[in-house]
Amino acid sequence: MITVEHLHKTFVTRTGGLLRGTRRTVEAVRDVSFSVARGEVVGYLGPNGAGKSTTIKVLTGLLVPTSGRVDVGGLVPWRDRRRHVARLGAVFGQRTTLWWDLPVRDSLDLLRDVYRVPRERFRQNLAAFTELLDLGPFLGTPARSLSLGQRMRADLAAALLHDPELLFLDEPTVGLDVVAKERIRAFVQHINAERGVTVLLTTHDLTDTERLARRVLIIDHGRLLYDGGLPDLQARFGGARELVVEFESAPTDPAIDGLQLIGAEGPRVTYAFDGAAARPIALVTAHAPVRDIEVREPDVEATIRRIYEDGLLRTDGS
Amino acid sequence: MADLVGGARHHLRLYRRLIGAQIRSQLVYRFAFVLDAAAAALITGTEFVAFALVLPRFGGFNGWSLGEVALLYGMAELAFVLMDLVFGGFDAPTISTHVRTGSFDTFLLRPVPLPLQIFGSDFALRRVTRVALAASILAYGVAGAGVDWTAGAVLLLAASVLGMIAFFGGLFVVGGTLTFWTVDSVEAMNVLTYGGRTLISFPMDIYGTWLRRTFTYLIPAAFLSYFPVLHVLGRPLPDGLPRWAAFLPLVIGPLLLAAAFAFWRVGVRRYHGAGS
Repeated sequence: MITVEHLHKTFVTRTGGLLRGTRRTVEAVRDVSFSVARGEVVGYLGPNGAGKSTTIKVLTGLLVPTSGRVDVGGLVPWRDRRRHVARLGAVFGQRTTLWWDLPVRDSLDLLRDVYRVPRERFRQNLAAFTELLDLGPFLGTPARSLSLGQRMRADLAAALLHDPELLFLDEPTVGLDVVAKERIRAFVQHINAERGVTVLLTTHDLTDTERLARRVLIIDHGRLLYDGGLPDLQARFGGARELVVEFESAPTDPAIDGLQLIGAEGPRVTYAFDGAAARPIALVTAHAPVRDIEVREPDVEATIRRIYEDGLLRTDGS
Repeated sequence: MADLVGGARHHLRLYRRLIGAQIRSQLVYRFAFVLDAAAAALITGTEFVAFALVLPRFGGFNGWSLGEVALLYGMAELAFVLMDLVFGGFDAPTISTHVRTGSFDTFLLRPVPLPLQIFGSDFALRRVTRVALAASILAYGVAGAGVDWTAGAVLLLAASVLGMIAFFGGLFVVGGTLTFWTVDSVEAMNVLTYGGRTLISFPMDIYGTWLRRTFTYLIPAAFLSYFPVLHVLGRPLPDGLPRWAAFLPLVIGPLLLAAAFAFWRVGVRRYHGAGS
């Protein structure tokens, strides 16, 4: 569905006037290559300014890259803009495609004409999305009066009415409460499973990624650092598991041979370990009487943060 | 061929629907709409009435009667307001807002020609009061200029209005395109657009020679309505220009508009390169 080879994008920015300003070049994307198969859901992660949105803008045909080859379903996005965008849907969390002062239903009907969706197909899709996203209560409400969650649901419906093969989702759950987030994730899962829509998801919310994407791409400083499954990422960079032990009473010496001591606070002591938990637990219970034990898995969020901050995946040391 | 016709029909229907959406959106705010419409008419109305009241005190206007000036003024105002209605989406502040808020990207993500969406993104219905007023001033001019209205004269002035719409529409497109590079240039464009409009609302022989010549040979604004009106009134063109120069507005307007859209394409290409 998507093939990206050696993508580069360099921006030239001028500061301080057209004539006497200084030119500065910024390499937003450097030698990025990846491919996405039809029907995949791929998470695209990276801190702000890492090159995520530049990549998305190239894939959606908004930006022409400095160099590199991009193929989306047999088309070069920026060469054949209209044919390309007819087959994709895009939802950008920060803005809406809906007409601000018109009822949602009118906006959707205008988009029917924009995408030339046959009336019958439009009717079926609208009915399906109204059911799945519970649009009913606010189809007659102007976009400006919608809550963020409602607007997001309406925008999702708007992006999918023309049966696109490919959906770009940019921060689809940002600013939403837990229930609203869950509803949107379930919908994305549904359209991927039932309609085979390929989804490229950029998000800061790792729960989105964990729930939806089997595969993630991580970009930082314009370079693609990781391309693979989340569990693999966890295994490679997730750091140690933790054993949180509550002793019957505060031990005089919490240190145990063969376990790394992380912290001690009264009877509560935390150790780090690798691999299976059986041996560490045996060591701890042999050390002193224990009231409770908890095994903590390293979480993805901390892993990714560590990757960005410590540059764990960086290859050139820049 | 059938594809092409089908495409054109689709675009036309879409344009009508987009304009319809704009109109319905504006009618949501009825009070603001009425207020805007009244204020817009008031500005045009007072300007011309003040002029009409002052004119007799000076015993005419460089040899021009009020009816003759009304002809020039009404044509310029009508053309400009109609242009503003149709080309409002290309006005520099509108384009730079689209770019800043990201709605320009939203347009680019739809499988419809970009200019069609820009045309369909603004249609300030409140200007209809100004259209009506401009038409009244023009009607007064038509009745009061003492012209024997042959079919040729009517056609020439109609062509002149169309030429002006294309000309000023082109200036709007150029101004909107410039915002892809910088918004600093907008004021300079406004001097040209609004200055040019005001200039050709009155007989150009009241201005100094250099000003009239600048707006004849450098910026061909005098060809738009001044020369056609001179021709209809049976007066000679200045600088010994041949009589056929009065028939040029229908050439000059569309030429400028075509050049403006060529520039627009350069601007959009630049946007695709820089993305901001």
